[in-house]
Amino acid sequence: MKNKIPLIQTLGLTKIYGGAEETKTVALKNINLTVNDGEFISIIGPSGSGKSTLLHMIGLLDHPTSGQYLFAGQETEHLSDAKLAHLRNQLIGFIFQSFHLLPRATVLENVMLPLYYSQLPAKKHKERALSAIQEVGMTYRLAHKPSQLSGGEKQRVAIARALVNRPKVILADEPTGNLDSQTGSVVLETIDSLHKQGHTIIIITHETPTAQYASRVITILDGQISSDQAISSKHKHYSK
Amino acid sequence: MSALLPIKESFRSLKTNLGRSLLTILGVVIGIVAVVLVIAMGQGAKLLILNEVESFGSNMVIVRPGRQPEGPADLANTLFGESITDREVKALQRPENVPDIVSVEPAVIVSGSISYQDNVYRPVIFGWTSTGLTDFFNIYPEEGAYFTDEDTRQRAKVVVLGHQVKQELFGDGSAVGKLVKIRGHNIRVTGILPKSGQVSSFNVDEIVILPYTTAQKDLMGINHYHEVIIRTKTDADPELVASDIRSTLRDLHNITDSTKDDFFVVTQEDMIDSISTISTILTVFLVAIASISLMVGGVGIMNIMLVSVTERTHEIGLRKAVGATNKNIMRQFLLESIILTLSGGAIGTTLAIALSFIITIILRNQYNLNWPLRLPLGAILLGVGMATAVGLIFGLYPAHQAAKKDPIEALRYE
Repeated sequence: MKNKIPLIQTLGLTKIYGGAEETKTVALKNINLTVNDGEFISIIGPSGSGKSTLLHMIGLLDHPTSGQYLFAGQETEHLSDAKLAHLRNQLIGFIFQSFHLLPRATVLENVMLPLYYSQLPAKKHKERALSAIQEVGMTYRLAHKPSQLSGGEKQRVAIARALVNRPKVILADEPTGNLDSQTGSVVLETIDSLHKQGHTIIIITHETPTAQYASRVITILDGQISSDQAISSKHKHYSK
Repeated sequence: MSALLPIKESFRSLKTNLGRSLLTILGVVIGIVAVVLVIAMGQGAKLLILNEVESFGSNMVIVRPGRQPEGPADLANTLFGESITDREVKALQRPENVPDIVSVEPAVIVSGSISYQDNVYRPVIFGWTSTGLTDFFNIYPEEGAYFTDEDTRQRAKVVVLGHQVKQELFGDGSAVGKLVKIRGHNIRVTGILPKSGQVSSFNVDEIVILPYTTAQKDLMGINHYHEVIIRTKTDADPELVASDIRSTLRDLHNITDSTKDDFFVVTQEDMIDSISTISTILTVFLVAIASISLMVGGVGIMNIMLVSVTERTHEIGLRKAVGATNKNIMRQFLLESIILTLSGGAIGTTLAIALSFIITIILRNQYNLNWPLRLPLGAILLGVGMATAVGLIFGLYPAHQAAKKDPIEALRYE
């Protein structure tokens, strides 16, 4: 019963930037996409293809110009800012290419940030953040500032932050883009382990090997889905 | 969300830019110092004046010609009114007219300077009775004596000098018995008053007193008086005396319509009322001026908050991505600006308290003024309240700018 409703469903999703006829850019055109609970999806495509826009749309950070987006069966078009923020907080975890950690806050404080906007009582924040940090193996750097961490460590902290509210889906926008291949592979292993724990993962990349961790690869070209294929066996080794 | 967390967050972000935060609040500090200081000193000044007025004793009633001045332009009515002459003084002295009076002492203000040889000085030259100072203020000459009632009747050319006047004209030499010149008349000094400083509304050290008869007829050549100072019996109600005085003078002048009075009566209560009114108006006016500096401080806060919003565009985008609502962001930045101005308010209020303490000491020691130290709770609350309001008002726009940032653009911002 539970799996009858797809986690993510888009119907004719279209995004056009710019109002005037001569300056407008079509970023996404008529995207129909269904993602079920527990999938590991990789979205690939050249830069400018619209894959980031799609991810932002899925992450409720952006509104489509037309089309429908149902998140966990819920129509999202008319949701208020507060309601959207609540959904992002509770059901979605973001991982960015450039980490986006707060530079002045410690590792622990960075991971606690989403809890701060949640309903969880403040006294449970630390405990919850610590368990997320433990999951990514960063317990030994709790009081460090981001500037004292390596790139891979930063991204693992960002992953801990993404999963601290136990979201249904984790959206990663080129999570290994700023990392060397070895570090990147550690990060991908971490993300893969989250998938194994039952998180739905959608990862954007333009590096094909990264995509091969996924169970399904979607290719975007010029704002449209050009291919959508399931991958039976996942590569276990990441190499550039 | 816990209530304390945003406050902690705000403090942290302000602390990371400590130098900038401190410079930013300087404007607010100065504004708050100005506001609180003006109020504290205004209150002190008002109390000082009220104390002095009260030192007259409530048994003093003053009658002046003209009508009660209703503004600075109206003062001429009082200064040039000629409606109080010997006839009026005699009428007031009759017990059947005003029963509760002890004495009626006319006074004349002499314009001009006083000189001895080559030394010229411009004190307040006051034609009065010999008993005025002793009766009201209990001041006796430290050298020589007051002129007598006989001197007053005879229009004797005699004078008592205030301490400072004597110093200016004679230095350390003796003055009693010497002749000074006022408006071309030679006048003999009979006594020197002790150093007394400010007593009631005038400075006794800067005063020269001579018989009112001499002042009126010989020096000024007029038939009227500038004011009449009336002492009531101690148990008399000053308002009742004032009303007796009014009806006596109205009868004398055939006035039926009280709005046509050509004189007015001032009791201690009236003086207290008008001093309170004036000092309140002055304080409000000065606070309004001081508030301008607070506004300038507020603009500084707004400026820095706008810079801060731009600097932290990434942070805003990220916070939105992980679940901050527009309201959360708004509240965070508003809180920061309020904490900024509130710390400015706290520092400013503390400084103002310290300053008013120092000023009070200086006034007491250097100017011999018994200036009361006043730190009205109202001023402190107003200072803190204004600081909060400035933070709120000038923080609103930057906070709104922060809240309305598009999360995607904010995250992409370089």
